[in-house]
Formats: sequence, structure tokens, C-alpha cells
Amino acid sequence: MAEPSTAGRAFDAEALPHLDALYRTALRLTGDPAQAEDLVQDTMLKAYRSWRQYRPGTNAKGWLLTILRNTFINDYRRRKLEPVATDLELVEPHAIYRAIEDVDPEGAFFAKIVDEKVLEAVDALPPDFREVLVLSDMEGLSYGEIAEALEIPVGTVKSRLFRARRQLQASLYAYAVETGIIPARESHNG
Amino acid sequence: MGEPIDCREAAARLQDYLKQELTPELEAEVRAHLERCRPCVGHARFEANFLLMLETRARRCGCPGTLRARITSILRTEMERG
Repeated sequence: MAEPSTAGRAFDAEALPHLDALYRTALRLTGDPAQAEDLVQDTMLKAYRSWRQYRPGTNAKGWLLTILRNTFINDYRRRKLEPVATDLELVEPHAIYRAIEDVDPEGAFFAKIVDEKVLEAVDALPPDFREVLVLSDMEGLSYGEIAEALEIPVGTVKSRLFRARRQLQASLYAYAVETGIIPARESHNG
Repeated sequence: MGEPIDCREAAARLQDYLKQELTPELEAEVRAHLERCRPCVGHARFEANFLLMLETRARRCGCPGTLRARITSILRTEMERG
């Protein structure tokens, strides 16, 4: 096998370290390991072919995740976006914390929920919410990078994130109460 | 800096504060609120634990070795093609 060219080596050095992030994100977007593998492979080929468009010194992870997300939207997602839940407009900023501050003020219960259940709860979020949450809170892109990747205003990123996190907290809280990780609230006063 | 913000406003901005995504002015307002409001410090810790939990969970799953090998090999072929 021939040695890779200079461009090839640069691509290897910048892109290959992000395969884990690409695969994780693909898995969350598609919900299917086989599709996730195909999506990552397509993304890497596209990225290599458009490598000249990458601006050195910018965030390669963000660049790759943008290609992955666009490939997903164009080639993988069969259905149109599901409607975004609107009842969360009414969610109080304190909602989950207020419910739990007496029994588990630090939110230690989050750490007691197994990975599989956390990821299931992430996967159950509406797609618009899920993608911002994955890119921000699981893969560490900045709000600005996400806005660029999704071609939406930063304000929209913020409001989707706020609702996505609240919804995820609510579903993890419900799961924790259901399974006894958090004791059910006592009904007596004092 | 304008009027001090209340707990509701602070709560609405806590996550962005923790993600270091606020403008310096808004960040200063939240910080000033946290310095004088113990319950909101508790809430901030709760939100920080939530964000840390998500970050930790994400790191535990990675690209399967077989996929990594396949991609490397496909890229090699592509690179040789020039």
C-alpha cells in the first residue's frame, strides 16, 4: 500500500481522532448501529473529498459533525421532522430542581441511572431537541458552532437546548422515581 | 450592570452560564446573583451535575474497531486514487 500524500496525512491527523464523536452522534441521530456505521463512512469520504474547503485552525470536529448532520438530513432521514413539543413552553425554569431539592439537591440520581437508560431518554427527545443536545452537551460544540452547523440563529440553539435539557431532566426524573432511585415524595406535611 | 436579576432570571440562565455561553455582562449578573443567593447555588450545582453526567456518558461509547479499520482502508484507496 502506498504512503498517503501530504494532504492525506493532514486529513488523517485532523479527522481520524474524531471518529468516536462521529460514531456517537451518528448513533444518536439514526438510532441504529448499522445505519450509524454507514453514515460515518459516508461522512468521512465526503469530508476527505472536500478537505480543501476545511479552514486549518478551525474546529475540525465541528466541521466533520456538520458534514455528518447534513448527510443525515439529506440521505438518511426518511421522515420529515416530527413536530416539536410545544407544551414545554410552559415549563418553569425551576421545575425539576424544585421537585427534587429536598430529597436529592445535588442531582446525585443522574449518576445512578445506567448509560443505556440515559441514552434511551436522549433518543426519545424530538429530533430538533436531540440534535442540539447531542452536539452541545455530549460532543462539546459551542452554541455558535451548532448555529453554523444547523444554519439556525444562536437564539434558537439556546431555546432548543433549554427545552431539550428540561425535557431530558423530566424524563430521567420520572424514570428515577419509577424505579425507586429517588424515593417518591411523601404526602404528609412537616 | 443594570438591576440585579431575580432567582427566576438566574435559573433561566444557569445552564448557559455553566456552559460559558453568556455575554460578559449577563455572566456578571448571574455571578452576582449566585454570590448572594444560596438556593440558586444549590440549583447551579444540580445543573452542573446534570451537564457533567451527559458529558461522561457520551465519552463511554466509541467507534467500533471494525468500522475504524474499514474507514481507514477506504480512505487509503481514495488517497491512492489521488
